[in-house]
Amino acid sequence: MDPSLISLMGIALSIGVPVVAAAITIIICGTALAGIGTEKPELLSRLIITVVLGEALAIYGLLIAFMLLGKLPVITTLEAANKALISGIVIAVASLSAGIGISYCGTSLIGATAENPDTFSSNVIGVVLSEALAIYGLLISFMIIGQI
Amino acid sequence: MRKLKAVLLKDHVDGVVRSLGEAGIVQFVDNGARSEEWEEMLVPHKVSPEISEKGSQLLTKIERFLEALEVEVRFERKVKTPITREPMEEVLRKVEQQLEELPVEALTKCSTLSARIDSLLETLGAESEEVEEKPITLEKPIEDSLTEIESQVAEIEKELDLITRETPNILISRIQTLRVQENVDPRRRLDQKLVKEIRKPFKRQRQLLELRKLVKEIEEFFLNQLLTQRKIVLEVRKKIEKDVQISDVKRRLLHLREIVVKEKQVEEEQRKFVESDKTVYLEAWVPEDDVKEATREIEIVTEGNSVVTVEPASKEEKAPIVLKPAPNYIAAFQKLVCTFGYPSCGDLNPARILAITFPILFGIMFADVGQGAIFILLGIILFFARRKIDMEKVGDIFRYLFISSEMFVFLGISAMFFGFIFGEFFGPSGVIHPISLGRIGPFYIGGFEPTEEPMKMLRFAILVGTIHLGIGMTLRFINEIRHQHYKLAPIPIFWMWLMFGGLFNWAYWGGISNISRWFSDGSLMLIGLIVLPLVLILAFTSITEGFMEGVGFSVEVFAETLSHSMSYSRLMALGLIHSAMNYLFLVLGGVTHGHFPLNSIPLIAVGTILVMIIEGLVVFVHTLRLHWVEWFSKFHAGEGIPFKPFKYTL
Repeated sequence: MDPSLISLMGIALSIGVPVVAAAITIIICGTALAGIGTEKPELLSRLIITVVLGEALAIYGLLIAFMLLGKLPVITTLEAANKALISGIVIAVASLSAGIGISYCGTSLIGATAENPDTFSSNVIGVVLSEALAIYGLLISFMIIGQI
Repeated sequence: MRKLKAVLLKDHVDGVVRSLGEAGIVQFVDNGARSEEWEEMLVPHKVSPEISEKGSQLLTKIERFLEALEVEVRFERKVKTPITREPMEEVLRKVEQQLEELPVEALTKCSTLSARIDSLLETLGAESEEVEEKPITLEKPIEDSLTEIESQVAEIEKELDLITRETPNILISRIQTLRVQENVDPRRRLDQKLVKEIRKPFKRQRQLLELRKLVKEIEEFFLNQLLTQRKIVLEVRKKIEKDVQISDVKRRLLHLREIVVKEKQVEEEQRKFVESDKTVYLEAWVPEDDVKEATREIEIVTEGNSVVTVEPASKEEKAPIVLKPAPNYIAAFQKLVCTFGYPSCGDLNPARILAITFPILFGIMFADVGQGAIFILLGIILFFARRKIDMEKVGDIFRYLFISSEMFVFLGISAMFFGFIFGEFFGPSGVIHPISLGRIGPFYIGGFEPTEEPMKMLRFAILVGTIHLGIGMTLRFINEIRHQHYKLAPIPIFWMWLMFGGLFNWAYWGGISNISRWFSDGSLMLIGLIVLPLVLILAFTSITEGFMEGVGFSVEVFAETLSHSMSYSRLMALGLIHSAMNYLFLVLGGVTHGHFPLNSIPLIAVGTILVMIIEGLVVFVHTLRLHWVEWFSKFHAGEGIPFKPFKYTL
């Protein structure tokens, strides 16, 4: 296959899938947040973390896509193109799993915090650890791009 | 924080709670739920339901009067009410008595009546100024004339309702149908049958017209009656007001309301106490400085007939915390700390250190000279606007903005600083060249453009992260010392040894890709820098908490060190994204080598605003997350309870 086509597929994956992951997260957590906001608006400032961390997934994808775009003129061999594709797949899978984690833990966090605001500091761990998954993926795909 | 325990006679309870509530220095401990501990020697203190019912009734009554007299409930001037020692029943009875003495009943009746008459007059289409200048003398006593007028008005209301709501509609529809029949073709009038048919309605029409006239007359009659009644009501009001000052009545009503509201709160607070046959036992938290005042207050009210002991908080109990009031420029950071959790008893309050580290981490991700300057400007504008704006009236989001105006300045300064280091001016536009601050081994501090050399940025981010975590561990050390856990105190030191040792290993052997050399060439170093601290952590935890906990904790330490320091690579990721998003607008605007074409300015302005809002929010949340999760988990459990003294709220 043409190296440039393969690397373009990598770019498409690296921006497309994280955006879907971010969308899933925001859809699920955002609706839960809206429900809580009517009952206890004073909690919104804390709980907004779920939506913003979800949004960050799209930003990680964007970062990898940007970097791959910058490398596009350099990619001539099949090997380099494969690296570009794989780095896209890595961030795609990582951010998708992070998105699922945030949306599950996030809705539970929102519900639990509304019930008992004191539990926020221990329950937020689930959300941020899920979000850390995306960072690990980002690091690895970043290092793969560094080797192109 | 000291725990105050007191035994009082039942008669003195109301007075004691009142005087402590006025001082606002104690937080009562809720003992009602704990009464089982005393095995029925002590039972929850009860206030008789009649008194509580009476209080509520009085309150609703007073509030109804206040509403009728159109008094706004506010307590701007401080009336120093003398603290009475009487039982609550007596106080409420006095309030009731005073309420009866006030001529509020007649006054409220006057205002409701005049309002009713005015609305009736409006439906009749009369101007309210059409009052005949005819002197009216009140012959009957005030109460009688008011009740008379009330019944009359009610009657008129009923009649008018019947006439104005229903009759005219019927009349109008009838008359309209008649008119339609009038327009019948004239030739066909010759038809006798039709003439008959038409005549009948004509007859009816005449009747209807008469009826209409009658209604008009009735309305006129009512109008006159209403006007005179209105006059009487006004006269009555004037007469009442002649006897008493209306403002005085309002003030006294407000005063009575204040007394009743306070009594309700005193009663609410008493539910926390427990009692025996004749005495009441109460526990309360008192700040150390106020202990003397609190005991003195109790002694004065009870005239010495009480037993008061003051003890330091026992170790099993969580004493509430009083934070020292933070200066204005820290307030926003203090809020960030307390949103996560109040500092536990005896812990360091990390707000001041957070005020330094938070802007630094934010600035690394938001590095930009231009946007930093805009942040500073925004902060200064908010700072000056805050003085002129009533904080009570602005919305939630704006209040947050106003409170955090100083924080904006801090964040802006930090963003500008890192903007100079990374050479960013509204994105990597080439106006500013990166300034290097030096180099520690493979770690470059500034002097490169992050988008050009991302690996340098990654190393920088990890370095900053480990230093940040190191600060957190130092604070943990200080906290352990403050709690006098001397056996646990070395653990954060070993942890720092492990973390910085790992970092040194990573830097020395040139990254993770040469990990095989860590074990062959650098096995001694590996043992000294990574294995040894882990073993020491295991040993020290095992001594204090048992072997299994020790194993668990040291595994946790190892994993946490790795994942938490790796988490700081988001400094790089978000920093790169920030400059990449700005770069997008620079390319669209056609900016090259630091030269801004004139026509690119609007586009750059729009892009800057967009990036500032989106990135500002995302970067802020990530900075917050780094502090809350990675940093606070080292030393700040956030399990404290804020001290909320009992104080009257009006």
